[in-house]
Amino acid sequence: MATANPDRKGGGARRPAPSLIHRTDLTLAVVVLAICAGLAYQTTRFEEVPALLQQGVPPTWFPRLVLILIGALALMLPFEHIAHRRQGRDIDEDRSRRIEPITFATAGLLVAVVAIMPWAGTLASMALAAVLLPLLWGERRYGAVAAFAVAFPLAVTLLFVGGLKVNFVPGVVGHLFR
Amino acid sequence: MDPVLTGLALIADPFNFLLILIGVVIGVLVGALPGLSSPMAVALLMPFTIGLDPIPAIAMMAALYCAGTYGGSITAILINTPGAPPAVATALDGYPMAARGEAGRALGMAAAASVFGGIFSLLVFIVATPLLAKIALSFRPQEYFALALFGLSMLASISGRSSLRNLISGGFGVLAATVGIHLVTGAERFTFGIPYLVEGIGFVPVLIGLFAIGELLAQAQTLDVERVPVRAVAVRLPSRADFLKVRGTMVRSAIIGTFIGILPAEGTTVAAIMGYNEAKRWSKHKDEFGKGAIEGIAGPEAANNAGTGGAMVPTLALGIPGSGTTAIILAALMMHGFRPGPHLIRENPQFVYAIFFAMLAANVMFAVLGLAGAKLFARVTFVPRAFLWPAVFAFSMVGAYSFNQSLFDVWIMLIAGLVGFVAKRHGFGPAPFVMGLILGGMVEETWSQAMLIFDNDWTRFFESPICLLFYAFTLAGLFGPLLARGAGRLVDRLRPSGDVLGE
Repeated sequence: MATANPDRKGGGARRPAPSLIHRTDLTLAVVVLAICAGLAYQTTRFEEVPALLQQGVPPTWFPRLVLILIGALALMLPFEHIAHRRQGRDIDEDRSRRIEPITFATAGLLVAVVAIMPWAGTLASMALAAVLLPLLWGERRYGAVAAFAVAFPLAVTLLFVGGLKVNFVPGVVGHLFR
Repeated sequence: MDPVLTGLALIADPFNFLLILIGVVIGVLVGALPGLSSPMAVALLMPFTIGLDPIPAIAMMAALYCAGTYGGSITAILINTPGAPPAVATALDGYPMAARGEAGRALGMAAAASVFGGIFSLLVFIVATPLLAKIALSFRPQEYFALALFGLSMLASISGRSSLRNLISGGFGVLAATVGIHLVTGAERFTFGIPYLVEGIGFVPVLIGLFAIGELLAQAQTLDVERVPVRAVAVRLPSRADFLKVRGTMVRSAIIGTFIGILPAEGTTVAAIMGYNEAKRWSKHKDEFGKGAIEGIAGPEAANNAGTGGAMVPTLALGIPGSGTTAIILAALMMHGFRPGPHLIRENPQFVYAIFFAMLAANVMFAVLGLAGAKLFARVTFVPRAFLWPAVFAFSMVGAYSFNQSLFDVWIMLIAGLVGFVAKRHGFGPAPFVMGLILGGMVEETWSQAMLIFDNDWTRFFESPICLLFYAFTLAGLFGPLLARGAGRLVDRLRPSGDVLGE
């Protein structure tokens, strides 16, 4: 919701004059520019086009054009907060809350589940996620967690393997039943 | 046979109606559940629909889209928690009505206004789509390029905190569309030696990752937020007096919503907010707004549902998505082997009519279901998040895998989700990226074709009057918000009260 700009109010506690450059967005702009530079370098490594196909636009032109545009837009990022401040909007609202440890743990768990999927198989990976994620998020009704971890992956497997004819990764669990 | 009747015959199959009903139920549930969104649900539905015929597949997605937009109003009214962004404005007056014991009247009005807006926009859809497609048939690559550029420029004003970040996000989407083999020369681009990337980045894993995994991580940030219990409500239709009071509001909002929906990239949230503002502006009882005005429900609800039919117009007629959800529907169309745009209307007119009838059926179904089961749907919000989101993750994992039966796609989904979560924190929304990803191919293809025709003389892009018109629209799309703000400031300065802060 839009609020009145505190920097422009008269009287009361005054905030220090805001700087011209927003430091977080400066870092962000550097990251975006670095990505653009890396990708621009990649365009120099595209394979040579045979002479027969060299009419028209080379494959490097369009990506380079887009990279230049993104780079130009990224240069404005550190100053964008000025326009937002004028409109009474907080550019840092979404990122003001730091990333919680539980979010890192959740992300780590998701990566781990996907990483073990080739070995454990799709069904076992789903079951593992169905046990660990609720526990990680504070669910302590162990009976409900156990029932969920058994019923849900089986239902999904039935739907996809039985109904949609998708071949799941069997993994060790699948091989045990073969 | 007449394409309208063929379209009706195609959809009038008990199996198709069952799928539409399933789409509606999922849509209302997803709409009611805060955190779950229509784009996410449509993205998760894609792998299920790949095995279906194109018409039932797209009909199911379209039904979910319609119902999802309505579903958000249930929790907005009953527990002051909009289940979906388009219902934000509905909560402003819906919840105060519920708080004073008029939840049934509020829900009834939300359903009636939604159906009115939805059906109004569908009528516009069915008239405008063939007309627009007829005009677009005369487009050459350069006009298509200008049109796609206009579509991308609208990212500047798409809902979100920052036009600049929307454009950067869209730019990266366009760049992602260049991964893989260059169609003209056969050169590999940005594949980094990974064979899986030669065919490009798949829509399905990216869409699922951005919308589902990104939101899952965002939910992990808010585990400490508590929810208030839902009150028992008896749903009844609004009275004749209520309808007489809001009839003008509903018509205005339906027109606004349809128009906003037709604009490329503009979504139902913008339509809802504009519908609310206009309802208030035209009301004789402005002071009642925010305290439980029935026009405050009719306005945004008619507008946001009108946005769904409107958004389908550019999607099907031009191949330019009208919103984030229609961008996913467009991707699904491509995966079913269709080429969205004027050729679709020329070659398969019955397809467009079938989608029209499916959305019409969805509107009727969600009104009945929404009214009969509002209390039940509202209770869905109390499904523990500790079970709901692992289920979403399992569906995401399996959905991303099943399209190509490739583990690499699961990694793509996960990476898209992780990057999407961090990017969203910094204001780079997933919707502009998806629009860029979908429009990117069209922009490059038409640009390359036109450059070939023009013998690499780019000045010839400015010869066609249609191109010039779209370039003017593009500039308006890019700088319109800036100009509007400047004009607003000027008006503030000229006001005699001189109440501009700091002046």
